[in-house]
Amino acid sequence: MKTIALRELAHSRSGEKGHDSNVSVIVYDPKLFPLIKEQVTVEAVSRLYGSITKGAIRRYELPAIGALNFVIENVLEGGRSRTLAFEESGKALSSLMLTLRVTVPSDTPERARLRAREAS
Amino acid sequence: MKTVRLGCGAAWARDRFEHAANLVEHGGLDYLCFDSMSEVTMSAAQVAMMENESTVPYDPYLVDRLRPILKDCKRQGIRIITNQGWLNPIAAAERIVLLAQELGMDDLKVAAVSGGLLHRSIADMGLNFNETGRPIAQSKDQIVSAEVYLGAEGIVQGLEQGADVIITTRVADACVYLGPLAHEFGWSFDDCHAIARGMIIGHLMECGTQVTGGYFADPGYKDVPDLANIGAPIAEVTETTAFITKLPGTGGIVSEATCKEQLIYEVQDPAAYICPDCIADMTQVSFRQAGRDRVEILIGPAGRPKTDTLKALIGLNEGYMAEEMVLFAGPGALARAELTKEILRRRFDITGLDAEEIRMDYVGLNAVHRESTPPMPGEPYEVVLRIAIRTATRAEAEKLRKEVDPLAVNGAYGTGKWATTSPGSRVRPIVGLNSALVPRRKVPFNVTMHAVAR
Repeated sequence: MKTIALRELAHSRSGEKGHDSNVSVIVYDPKLFPLIKEQVTVEAVSRLYGSITKGAIRRYELPAIGALNFVIENVLEGGRSRTLAFEESGKALSSLMLTLRVTVPSDTPERARLRAREAS
Repeated sequence: MKTVRLGCGAAWARDRFEHAANLVEHGGLDYLCFDSMSEVTMSAAQVAMMENESTVPYDPYLVDRLRPILKDCKRQGIRIITNQGWLNPIAAAERIVLLAQELGMDDLKVAAVSGGLLHRSIADMGLNFNETGRPIAQSKDQIVSAEVYLGAEGIVQGLEQGADVIITTRVADACVYLGPLAHEFGWSFDDCHAIARGMIIGHLMECGTQVTGGYFADPGYKDVPDLANIGAPIAEVTETTAFITKLPGTGGIVSEATCKEQLIYEVQDPAAYICPDCIADMTQVSFRQAGRDRVEILIGPAGRPKTDTLKALIGLNEGYMAEEMVLFAGPGALARAELTKEILRRRFDITGLDAEEIRMDYVGLNAVHRESTPPMPGEPYEVVLRIAIRTATRAEAEKLRKEVDPLAVNGAYGTGKWATTSPGSRVRPIVGLNSALVPRRKVPFNVTMHAVAR
């Protein structure tokens, strides 16, 4: 087994909805969806976003596309219209999700290496 | 089988202008659709009009966007659907008629879809804010704007009446796509699966290039060719199939991955995406790469009947904010930024700054992910101290710059400053947004026709 950043297995997009933000996690390889589902939990995501989240964190599943959707309540300091936060749109929040560490079988392909091989 | 081609002319008010012209010239479109709104658009427009009476009540880019394409669209039979009408779609429609006359066109029909503006009435409807549960009536004096997200029925009515251009007030963004699809395929608004299908296609299209490789590139992980020339999306829809594609020769990429990211963009519960005309189940959607830059959207039975309420956004006067930045670089940059932060804290005490909130971040260290930022090893070469305050009055907010500008001579070694030469105030009024659910029957809309006389 090896422990790597979620960025090697999944991509992510975030945005705003009022005071909340949503952050998706989409696996590159659908076969890895069960493993991601098991490890990218509300608890794990709370460890990442908890200190800036003033509400609940909820997780939804989209199995048909191998994706999870996290709704992070009250993470935008009152939302774009009134926040004093430097980044107001929630659009930069997803990259934090991709730092999450996940443990996978040693032979699991990593995105960066795959892309480098395709490029060469 | 009938195929309808819709192109995205703009994803928001200040989107790139060339998408529309490219699509009109090369897209073989039936419809060109513009979304010109974000959540703050209507309240910002209301404030702009209060501050300057000569401000137009619709998208100030209306004419700039339509002038280059209006004639070509009419000639090709491309119908335009746009929500640039903002606070006054009728005034916007009249402006489009005038534009057509300026362009020497002798035939153009414009439909204005109005309604949904509740800033004068919402406080008396006995409703509560979704966010706080408090009665809206308690905030009556603060209300600057209030409008609901209307559905697509007004757009369909305008199209049925033969309009070449439909200009609306606030509708749910995806409705500028759902409307023409419902019209073309004769969908009943009671057919929730069909309406949800149109809404999902619209949802994928409404943010424009975010589905064709924009907001996607991550070098070494997700590479996107020729972003500087990115092409806007085209939806190609029949009664049973739907594809997302873009113009050949443009940059960007349409892949299952770009579509998946956009499907979940700004969605909360994907199984219950609540829209004005239906509840859509995004978990019924999957994608299939059907060719280069061409993805099929596969949509199962995704609809549930609409709710009996419409979502309203309410803009509230909430005071003022100001923001300043101070710059440091080289050895000791962080220590000097920290010293400056302490100096400012003391100065705020000494001058008795009355702020509701003070926020200080180190840009380059923790300004974006804030307190969630992982620890960084080593010392940064550059640090920007960014200070933001919120106050009840404008005069109080002005105090921030009066403390920051003097740091040039009174502050730490090597203090750099941003935009010191720009004169005047950098204080911004805050119109905070809350939402509420308004009974649908209390929100009528109406469609009016405006035409160039032949």
